[in-house]
Amino acid sequence: MTSKLNRRTMLKLSGGGIAAAAMASPSILSAQDAYPSRPINVVVPFDTGGYNDRLARAFAPFLSERLGQPLNIINRGGAGALLGHTYFLQQPDDGYALLCTSAAPYLPLNILTQDAPFTIDQFHMVNLPSRDYTMLATSTESGITSIDEVISRLKEDANSLSIGIQPASADLVNLMLMADALGIDREALRLVTFDGGGPTRNAAAGNVVDIALVGGQGFLPLADKIVPLLIFDDAPRDGWNSKLITEVSADAQFVSGSQRGWAVHSSLVENSPEIYQTILTAIEETSKDPAVITALTNAQLATDWFGPEVSNKSLRATAAVMEQHISLLQGT
Amino acid sequence: MINFDALGDAFTLLSTSWSAWVFVIPGLLVGLFFGSMPGISITMAMAIFLPMTLYMDFLPAIIFLTSIYTGAGFGGSVPAVLMNIPGTSSAVATTFDGYPMSRQGRHNEALGLALSSSVIGTLSSYILLMFIIEPVSGVVLKMGPLELFVVAIWGLMLLGSLAGDSIPRGLLAGTFGLLLGTVGMNSAGYIRGTMGIPWLLDGVPTIPAMMGLLAASQLLNLVNTRHLIEDEDLRKISLKKILNGFRESFQFKTIIARGAIIGVIIGSIPGVGSSISNLLSYSEAKRNAPDGDTFGKGNPKGVIAAESANSSSEGGAMATMLALGIPGGGATAILLAAFAMHNIVGGPSFIANNQDIVYAIIISNFAQALLLLVIGLGFVYFASYIVRVPMRYLIPSVLVVALFGSYAIDGTSSGPITLAVFAVIGWAMVRYNYPVAAAVVGLILGNLVEGNLLRTYQISGGDPAYALERPGALFIMALMVISFSLSAFSKMRRKRKEGAAMGAS
Amino acid sequence: MQKTGKIKVQWGHLALLAVLGTAILAYLLDARATSLRTNNLILVQPMSILALILLLMVLPQCFQRVPPAGAEEDHAALPATPKETPIELAKIGVVTGAFILLAFFMEQIGFDIAVFSFLVLGIFVCGERNWIANIAFSAVFTALLIYGYGAIIPFPFPLAVL
Repeated sequence: MTSKLNRRTMLKLSGGGIAAAAMASPSILSAQDAYPSRPINVVVPFDTGGYNDRLARAFAPFLSERLGQPLNIINRGGAGALLGHTYFLQQPDDGYALLCTSAAPYLPLNILTQDAPFTIDQFHMVNLPSRDYTMLATSTESGITSIDEVISRLKEDANSLSIGIQPASADLVNLMLMADALGIDREALRLVTFDGGGPTRNAAAGNVVDIALVGGQGFLPLADKIVPLLIFDDAPRDGWNSKLITEVSADAQFVSGSQRGWAVHSSLVENSPEIYQTILTAIEETSKDPAVITALTNAQLATDWFGPEVSNKSLRATAAVMEQHISLLQGT
Repeated sequence: MINFDALGDAFTLLSTSWSAWVFVIPGLLVGLFFGSMPGISITMAMAIFLPMTLYMDFLPAIIFLTSIYTGAGFGGSVPAVLMNIPGTSSAVATTFDGYPMSRQGRHNEALGLALSSSVIGTLSSYILLMFIIEPVSGVVLKMGPLELFVVAIWGLMLLGSLAGDSIPRGLLAGTFGLLLGTVGMNSAGYIRGTMGIPWLLDGVPTIPAMMGLLAASQLLNLVNTRHLIEDEDLRKISLKKILNGFRESFQFKTIIARGAIIGVIIGSIPGVGSSISNLLSYSEAKRNAPDGDTFGKGNPKGVIAAESANSSSEGGAMATMLALGIPGGGATAILLAAFAMHNIVGGPSFIANNQDIVYAIIISNFAQALLLLVIGLGFVYFASYIVRVPMRYLIPSVLVVALFGSYAIDGTSSGPITLAVFAVIGWAMVRYNYPVAAAVVGLILGNLVEGNLLRTYQISGGDPAYALERPGALFIMALMVISFSLSAFSKMRRKRKEGAAMGAS
Repeated sequence: MQKTGKIKVQWGHLALLAVLGTAILAYLLDARATSLRTNNLILVQPMSILALILLLMVLPQCFQRVPPAGAEEDHAALPATPKETPIELAKIGVVTGAFILLAFFMEQIGFDIAVFSFLVLGIFVCGERNWIANIAFSAVFTALLIYGYGAIIPFPFPLAVL
């Protein structure tokens, strides 16, 4: 958490790292030819304890070992990651600042709804291992057992079920896309808006709302209190026994949920390709290391390697769909 | 109910892994120290030490973190009593009577009271926890928006009694605070009142605003005084008086019991927790006390009510975390992360399969609470030396500490700027007899009131008959009505008695 | 009704009410400009209107009739009017002003310089005339805070000298 303690922790993990840093740091002049020559900051645009924070803290010791420098986690939460993203771009693009964030939906949301002082092209995704998905679920006590039942009730009367959801979310976009594809009157839907995924899930599990649409990974601890009804993805996820959106409606569009992982300045890729290459290789090797995979999987964190090409493409695709439905993101 | 086999196993577990006990005292000290620094939240203290626990075994790791939790829970009361600084929103009600007591030279007594009611609160909450951990899991998730709205309204009732001399001024302060609490993005995604400032999207930063309204405004008003306590003879630090305060709290068993029950119940509701429970407990104590008028002017019962509730919320939050695997707040989120680091997933299956560990955690919390008595005593003894610092040093120093604390919350100048703005507003309000406490209560509750009113409206479509489908909400409403009519009734009787006594004399 | 005595205006109180009133009204208008849907205005609109009504009820209290000599008892019934001497008020003003400057500019100036200067000034205004004690205390306290808080928070303080 703190820079100092973190360094101390690192010291235990990779004893040589600090020594190397101490020897290298006085020679600021030679910093150019020997990246990295000093500790690297990892900006997390959320407060401590959230998914990105946990991901950064769990991944950092292993990445630090490969880069040969300690990593300091800097939490800059607030305003839906807008403050943290802005702060990250204000850091020099010299490879000493990495970003660990929920790129989707927060980057597009910052830009589309918050007049962010940046564009998506200023960020370059190195790898977005965690890809959440919207899940439609109900309480085990609700009596609802299948998505077909939900659809037929909503078709008959769109106001008949209360729907727990977060405003300005990928989940809301997915709900509306589904409503359009199935001919459900989206204006008449009875939306109940919650601040955050946790409260939405609790409301679903406690049968406070009839159904809820929210990121599916967070439902895992509550698995025996809910019935998963529909997953907005084209393949089964996390062992949930439920239908996929593609099975319900072949032509329904959907966006993936949170896409979380590692990013750098786009200008770093252009101006200092060697430094970028070092970071890229380090993150790739770390992500594929079996010890890392075990450690992160145990902590319910993702470490799959998709690489920059897939990650950037998928982020931009999500951003494009969100832009199409911008009106949904500005208050319900 | 209690499973005695598991309880026995828990004792074995704790007595064989003695290493677990080594971490209790350091944990408590860390917690006390961090908790007493304004702006350093319990969550932050625990998050800082989370990486360290990676190298410990599971039980010692959890015991270390819960010791920090316990220590920090009390640590926040020290600046609240001595400097009117609520470092967290759970210490707000402690300032109402704790600080006036300090200014009257009763700082020793106030700290003793706070310590003992905290310890008793923690102890009783864990005793309750032993019995309620299973039913809790069934009830907590059932708390819908209407139920929470009723709880929030119950909290708002405090505004009436905080109003002081002038009801319109008190209510104006309260509604102003309530409106401030709704600034930013609301639950439905509408952005209001941010004046284009990005950090206001999350609302007015509560802790800096509270510190500004309550503490900084006071300090500015004290610029022309020489000492916090005018009378030099009263400026003593006395262990005896701390112990007296300590014993005194045992006289108010009802207040403590009520505080503990309110704390456990409210604390177990995710996202509500100790910031509301201390206000509710204070408000109930004030309304039911025969000397309710002296609350806010240094009545020990106010301190007892606030402290017993905020410390017992810890037990409630732990119940939710253990039973459901969902965090009620930042601190329990860190504990869950620590669970995950040791490959243990919280939730219903955890309790069912690991009852011995659950009981071991509960028992170790008993021990922590008892040790807190001893360590806390030493801590408050030294902390209370602050009353002897001359004001000419104390005022600028505490202002700066508050500023650092407000910066520490998220590392931007949003905290300091909020603090300064609300210091001025608070100073002007104090000067013209507006109860700043009412504004603070409004600020804390604003978001809760709006969000849950909104969701109730959304679920019900505006149909009042919805309330009939929510027996829980009706039950809470009934409790509220009964509580209010009982206290009104007893007040009436007291008045009549007094009248009769006066007539007779 | 006694017609004697002059009306005394509490200018400070009036200013406070003006600030509160402007803020509440501006907030209400801003909220209404955002959206007129119930989901947006459900609490803000009724509360703002209530607050403005309360404000109008308090407003007359800014204008108090100063009772003629010999009618002190009447005066005591009104909420106490603040009574500092102009010098005391000036001291509060200086400390408050310095505090606001510190809060707004400490990031730009650097915490070390800004905090140290504020402490020296604040301690002087609050009555310390021993410069050595003042400067020594301010320096030590500044360093203590910067290293103390710096050790436990997850971001650096912007500093100028230290």
